[in-house]
Amino acid sequence: MVRLGFTIDLERCVGCQSCVIACKAENGTPLNIHWMRVLESDEERGRTFVPVRCNHCANPPCVAACPTGAFVQRKDGIVFVNNDVCIGSMACLTACPYDVPYRWDGDEGYYGEEISSFEKFKRNLFSNPFKTSITNDSTKGLTSFEQIKRERGRGMKIGTAQKCHFNYHRIDQGLAPACVEACPVDALDYGDLHDQESRINLKLKQKNHFSPRAELGTNPSLFYLTGKGGGEISGVYNRSNPADGE
Amino acid sequence: MSKSNNALHSESRPFRIEFWPQRAWDWRIAFYLFLAGASGGLIFIELLLKELSIIDQRTADWGGWLGIVIASISLLILFSHLGPGVRWKAWNVFRNIRRSWISRGAFIVTVLMLLRILVMLPSLIDDLPWADGTNAATVIRIVVMLFALAFMTYSGIVLSSWNSIAFWNTPLLPILYISYSFLSGTAIIPIISIFTVGMDELNSIGIVLWPLILGLLLGSGFLLITYVYGMATSSVPAKQSVRILINGEKRWHFWIGVILIGLLIPILIVSLPTLGILSLQWVGTTLLIIACINILIGGYILRNLILACGLYGPPI
Repeated sequence: MVRLGFTIDLERCVGCQSCVIACKAENGTPLNIHWMRVLESDEERGRTFVPVRCNHCANPPCVAACPTGAFVQRKDGIVFVNNDVCIGSMACLTACPYDVPYRWDGDEGYYGEEISSFEKFKRNLFSNPFKTSITNDSTKGLTSFEQIKRERGRGMKIGTAQKCHFNYHRIDQGLAPACVEACPVDALDYGDLHDQESRINLKLKQKNHFSPRAELGTNPSLFYLTGKGGGEISGVYNRSNPADGE
Repeated sequence: MSKSNNALHSESRPFRIEFWPQRAWDWRIAFYLFLAGASGGLIFIELLLKELSIIDQRTADWGGWLGIVIASISLLILFSHLGPGVRWKAWNVFRNIRRSWISRGAFIVTVLMLLRILVMLPSLIDDLPWADGTNAATVIRIVVMLFALAFMTYSGIVLSSWNSIAFWNTPLLPILYISYSFLSGTAIIPIISIFTVGMDELNSIGIVLWPLILGLLLGSGFLLITYVYGMATSSVPAKQSVRILINGEKRWHFWIGVILIGLLIPILIVSLPTLGILSLQWVGTTLLIIACINILIGGYILRNLILACGLYGPPI
């Protein structure tokens, strides 16, 4: 069983925000909503950049907190929001220790009240135009992307939560997430944590790394690489992980 | 939807590594949690006092209806906080009872309200099998009291069950909320009594009520001190929350709203009849009603401050 993971090499990141822009361009996220952020911190020896996104935790607090079951965990570990069910209680915003989910209450476009054709296209693309499940027979024979367009609940509905979904429309097509593809310094990477030969596993073996706030027991699928001298992958196999058991 | 509402949830989210106050749950959730606790406390206390024949039937009936009304208002406030456009699908809130405390809370309050109405029905319809004095009525009352207790507990557990915000993540918080819920519920009884039966009943039930309220005030004060001290000696985000609460931007709300209005003034007033100093004439009764209203105000401000002082730690 695949469990998708993500690595961010803090030694390589230069804070160019390419991943932030790529994410917005790919997903058409509304004004002021950032599924990917590059945080900054000024220190004596210089500035530090830390890209932050949804960690797609194995024990996601958002899934447990959501009263409607709108937060769904796929078998490969991707956590996404079913906007058909979400009622905007904002329990996920409060429960997530990484401050990742947003609630979109609607706003004007990037260039004023008029929504640009790009924004309109993206919002329509992700606004669940067909109420047909991906498992429905009517989707047989469609390409993955066409299926995604028809998938229930994947989209931007006013008043509902939204967050990084690992670009699973791209993952399902065998493509890298937009943020990974856009990074000019190869600081971002993704792959199967259960495949010992995958690129991110090799990186985790080569470099020191840590999971964000691992002490909270969320078992994130995201690892920050901090320098040479790696070791065993921490936090992947030795904790309770729904994906491991399947 | 207004731009300002959108800004509340997204615009000012920083690109900095620092502590960040939660703003998703605002005064409406605080009011919801306060009313949830108060309704649970009121229903529990009025049933208990009625079983012990301390309060009049009319006071008990009004207390029961008011408890249901307060719980309904709390749900309306919660409803107004849901996402615009999708709040009409609020029944989805029951979908995750297995894991979500909000979902469990929705279930608890629904059962509580339905059962409380069931208890009231014999006063409206004759010859029901669970009429007053039957074993069935006693069983239903006990179940209602258990659900009322669960609703009070839920109002604290819903916050403490998440470890994202250190200031909330302590088992002391539900205990504090239960105590404050009992306090709020008990403080509503004299107000109902004065409007339904009058000063005569207040004189008779005061023998039980004022010492009870005084005990709850002292107990809640002790729990509040323990909670704040515990958080002040806890993790860094929790310490920062305490600093904001007692020494930072929220200090006036805390010291004046929670401590002075919500605890010290009521303790002072309620201790007078308890010690036999204050007679329950008009002046004394007015003072005691003011003390009860103060308790309610302090209870709301406390819930609001605990939400407002919640801080996320840095995300890494």
